[in-house]
Amino acid sequence: MKPAPFEYVRPDTLDAAVQALNHEDARIIAGGQSLVPMMNFRLVQPERLVDINRIEALTPIVQTDTGVRVGALTRHVEAEYHPLLREHFPIISEAMPYVAHLAIRNRGTIAGSLCHADPSAEWPLLAILLNGEIEILGGSGSRTVPAEEFFMAPLTTDIAETELVTGVFFPSPPASCGMAFDEVSWRAGDFAIVAAGALVYIEKNRFVNVRLVLGGVFDTPIRITALEEALVGQSANQDAIEAVLSLTTKDLEPNDDLHASAEYRLSLVHVLARRVLTCALERASS
Amino acid sequence: MTDAIAYARPKYIGKSIQRLEDSRLLTGRGRYAADFQVPRMAHLAFVRSDQAYARICQIETHDAKELPGVIGIFTASDFAHIPEITAPSKMLNYHPTFCPVLARDFVRYVGEPVVAILAEDRYVGEDAAALIEIEYDPRDVAVTAREASSPNAPKLHDSLGSNTIFSRQFAAGDCVKAISDAVHVVSGQFCMTRKTSVSIEPRAYMAEFEPQKDTLTLHSATNIPGIVRDEIGRLLGLSGNKFRVVTCDVGGSFGGKGSLYPEEIIVCDLALRLERSIKYVADRMEDILSSSQAFEEEVAATLAVDENGHFTALKADILGDIGAYSIYPWTAALEPVQVASFLPGPYRIPHYTATVRGICTPKPPTGPYRGVGRPMAVFALERLVDKAAFTLGLSPTELRRRNLVGTEEFPHRIGSGIIWNRSGFHECLNAAEEAVDLPSIQAEKTSRKDKWVGVGFASYAELTGIGSRIAVAPGMPMNTGAETATIRIDATGAVSAVFAMSSHGQSLETTLAQIVAEELGVLPEDVNVIQGDTSLTPHGTGTYASRSAVIGGGVAVKATRGLLVKVKRVAATLFGVSPSDIQTGDGNIFVPNTNFAINFAEIARLVYSDMSTLPQEARETLEFQATYDPIVGTTTSATHAAVVEIDPETLLIKLRRHFVAEDCGRLINPLVVNGQVHGGVAQGIGAALLEELKFDDAGQPITATLADYLVPTSAEVPDLEVAHIETELPDSPGGFRGMGEGGTIGAPAAIANAVTDALSQLGIEVNSLPITPSKLHALIAAATKQDRQE
Ligand SMILES: Cc1cc2nc3c(=O)[nH]c(=O)nc-3n(C[C@H](O)[C@H](O)[C@H](O)COP(=O)(O)OP(=O)(O)OC[C@H]3O[C@@H](n4cnc5c(N)ncnc54)[C@H](O)[C@@H]3O)c2cc1C
Repeated sequence: MKPAPFEYVRPDTLDAAVQALNHEDARIIAGGQSLVPMMNFRLVQPERLVDINRIEALTPIVQTDTGVRVGALTRHVEAEYHPLLREHFPIISEAMPYVAHLAIRNRGTIAGSLCHADPSAEWPLLAILLNGEIEILGGSGSRTVPAEEFFMAPLTTDIAETELVTGVFFPSPPASCGMAFDEVSWRAGDFAIVAAGALVYIEKNRFVNVRLVLGGVFDTPIRITALEEALVGQSANQDAIEAVLSLTTKDLEPNDDLHASAEYRLSLVHVLARRVLTCALERASS
Repeated sequence: MTDAIAYARPKYIGKSIQRLEDSRLLTGRGRYAADFQVPRMAHLAFVRSDQAYARICQIETHDAKELPGVIGIFTASDFAHIPEITAPSKMLNYHPTFCPVLARDFVRYVGEPVVAILAEDRYVGEDAAALIEIEYDPRDVAVTAREASSPNAPKLHDSLGSNTIFSRQFAAGDCVKAISDAVHVVSGQFCMTRKTSVSIEPRAYMAEFEPQKDTLTLHSATNIPGIVRDEIGRLLGLSGNKFRVVTCDVGGSFGGKGSLYPEEIIVCDLALRLERSIKYVADRMEDILSSSQAFEEEVAATLAVDENGHFTALKADILGDIGAYSIYPWTAALEPVQVASFLPGPYRIPHYTATVRGICTPKPPTGPYRGVGRPMAVFALERLVDKAAFTLGLSPTELRRRNLVGTEEFPHRIGSGIIWNRSGFHECLNAAEEAVDLPSIQAEKTSRKDKWVGVGFASYAELTGIGSRIAVAPGMPMNTGAETATIRIDATGAVSAVFAMSSHGQSLETTLAQIVAEELGVLPEDVNVIQGDTSLTPHGTGTYASRSAVIGGGVAVKATRGLLVKVKRVAATLFGVSPSDIQTGDGNIFVPNTNFAINFAEIARLVYSDMSTLPQEARETLEFQATYDPIVGTTTSATHAAVVEIDPETLLIKLRRHFVAEDCGRLINPLVVNGQVHGGVAQGIGAALLEELKFDDAGQPITATLADYLVPTSAEVPDLEVAHIETELPDSPGGFRGMGEGGTIGAPAAIANAVTDALSQLGIEVNSLPITPSKLHALIAAATKQDRQE
């Protein structure tokens, strides 16, 4: 379980990183928590490894007029405890303890998780739920991709090998917004069998905006737009949630794998959707 | 009993002394096989089969040979001089298999070593492995024991008539009649799936060639150094004074390091041929794919009960999936036969019959794994006991109480021939029942709607410290019943105790030191326990089968007592008193109520270096060697109680409490006993709720990493509660019983019974382990569907 030979470069600046990536077979290493196991299994054998850990421009978490921008190298554990994120997006610190184990959270990064794009991972789900915008830099300049369009298939995203993610922008949600996250995994720290996140925005006791995103059931995290639309305009109460719950599992064909059957996943979707919507509603109301 | 008197006021035995090995192991100063670095050491890597069963057509090694840093590439033909590994047995109806050190002509499981690559380092070795191409002609496979046992199944070994490599019958009494006469009969089909041991240290071997002495030392992560020395010596024609096996620190085995492996033979052979030292360290995936696996059995069993709730008969049919080869030295019969041997459990069951078959399948060989057969036996029987209790409307503890062998009934022979001696069968059950408080759980079950709560018990007995009358594995022509130890005081007064066993986590450095210290009258930290080096002892097999406390502890008592006689004789001459006047303690030798006193350093100087104080004939060497063989063994017993709660929506199963009451005789060190119980229960939790090696229809393993093969972590193990019951002590020196495996034996059954109890309102029974939320979902769906149809 040793990696194939590779060349290792460690640029200090974004420019140098973009240059280093201008290579036939280069790969970024951030926390290394997903990449190194894949290299050791020789599932990936990049010729060049570009270590971005020394690039300071990738670390800050800053507030802007419209939201919070999180640097690509932000470690899971930093995101869990950061005051700005705790204040504006408490769901992040609610979800982070589910990501692997402490030692891995100390090293793993937000961009690494997004670019790795595991269908069960928490960050991709959160990014879609929170309407995140992914900032990408390449040889021909920078671009921004909405999280919802970023994930294409398991371990596949809308990013070229010569590009890097520099950060994620999360727009501020309205004040009367409640969010909740929950998941089921076999052991503490395992990838989710099913994960669910909900964001509920109410005004005058009615649902104004609802987002429900599921992870672990499909190739990428998915929004349940049918349910979201059905709730908007309804009275903000538990009965309304119960009435639309069956929409979560309608037309859904969850993955069937080694760890769980599709039928079991489907039952979890129902349970977790109810739990996160109920909890988000409570939080929005208080 | 004399021992009870000897330890009337023990100083060290029974005390929770901090483990003497901890400071070394916890500060990174342990020395494992992988830590050895010597000049000119080369590294071994393997290309392993990626086919379950195939003919090897061609192996292309050209490109790999050309790679800089590659020293040599070896295939089966390079080891034609080494006989195949084969495990003999005197058991009737047993057919040994023949396993070459590298696959020859055929591969029979994914993970079987096919090509060995010797390189300057492991990185190059794996680069070379990637360049080797093997062409296979796949054969039809029968992946499960059930398929492979059918007469038309493809045969895994052409030389064998069928895939059934052994079969055996057990019969006592007239089971057929007893079952047809019975008022109540309960039956079930029980199965456990494959496990691997997942030691924190994977298998590792370093063969150190010393050109100056022309000797070979194998530093092996094994728990059977003596057996490895004897058999590699035989296979390679090496005498014991030219070839030794040393274990140093071993990071767990649980049985996975308790057999002879091709890789350790290869490192030795190549080291001799190339006259350089060679290291092989398995990575985690190799360890999962190629270390011995265990527990894959199906048991169809029937229990008959009379109108008073007394068991009358037990009948079983046991099918063991033994994998591709019969492992050395235990044979493939070890685990399945042990299921049959222990199935009647700690109960009075007059009539017993069982048939056992071991079936070859294209999967890694099975071998010992903590508990060996008894986890399956206890699971099957204790599920039947609960079913019977349910049928009779009795509480599970009451039915057990009516049938456990009574305190006055020992020794008691069970239907398989095993004899139980006095042990705390009833005492353990009572303690578990009391700890759990059944009425309060009953109340919780009816009142709580947000959780399904259940409680389960499992009582069992096991034979530990098995002596020479019974082979540890059926028909195995090897003495696993004796241990030899030498206790010595050297010229500086230091005490060394040399054993042939080897600790791989059992704390033998501490517990054996406690015993020697107690008997000799020195401090435990002043006793240097030396173990796991075959050059220091004439014979010994290792540490396995819960034998080291009984046999090793026993020989420690015997040898130290022999040495103490010598010490007292010397002191008596010195003081001019009778040896019976002499006492020892805390490093001193003295006559009470006098000022006659001397310490061990001084007496050593007088004996070895001072030529005038003592007469020559009194200056005897302060060393004593003894051998101990318990002949039969000791009976350890326990009752486990598990309380689970299940989330009715997610079906997540939480083990809320796990309580163990066990009787292991006299505790040498409660801290160590607790540690053994805790670790064993953790593995039992794994077997009950998480761990399962899965293979697809083509025999491909699909759980080859720790992301897919799930072992319990600290988050899945509740605070474990352990009560030690010390009933009448066994008739062994020191009064110790073995207890290294019990945790794994009782926990799966107790948890299965608890989950079944929690699901009683749905009529669902857990008869296959591990039980997972996804499997529960399927069981519930099937039950509801059936309900609707009825
Ligand atoms: C035992 C274990 C359990 C885990 N459990 C979970 C879990 O429950 N949930 C979960 O979400 N994750 C889990 N993980 C994964 C962990 O969260 C990783 O930290 C994360 O997936 C990758 O982050 P990283 O920074 O380590 O990325 P790396 O491993 O360094 O890289 C991952 C991929 O992203 C690319 N990449 C990294 N940074 C950038 C960038 N800035 N721009 C472009 N591409 C980039 C790399 O080239 C690579 O392809 C687990 C990991 C382990 C080892």
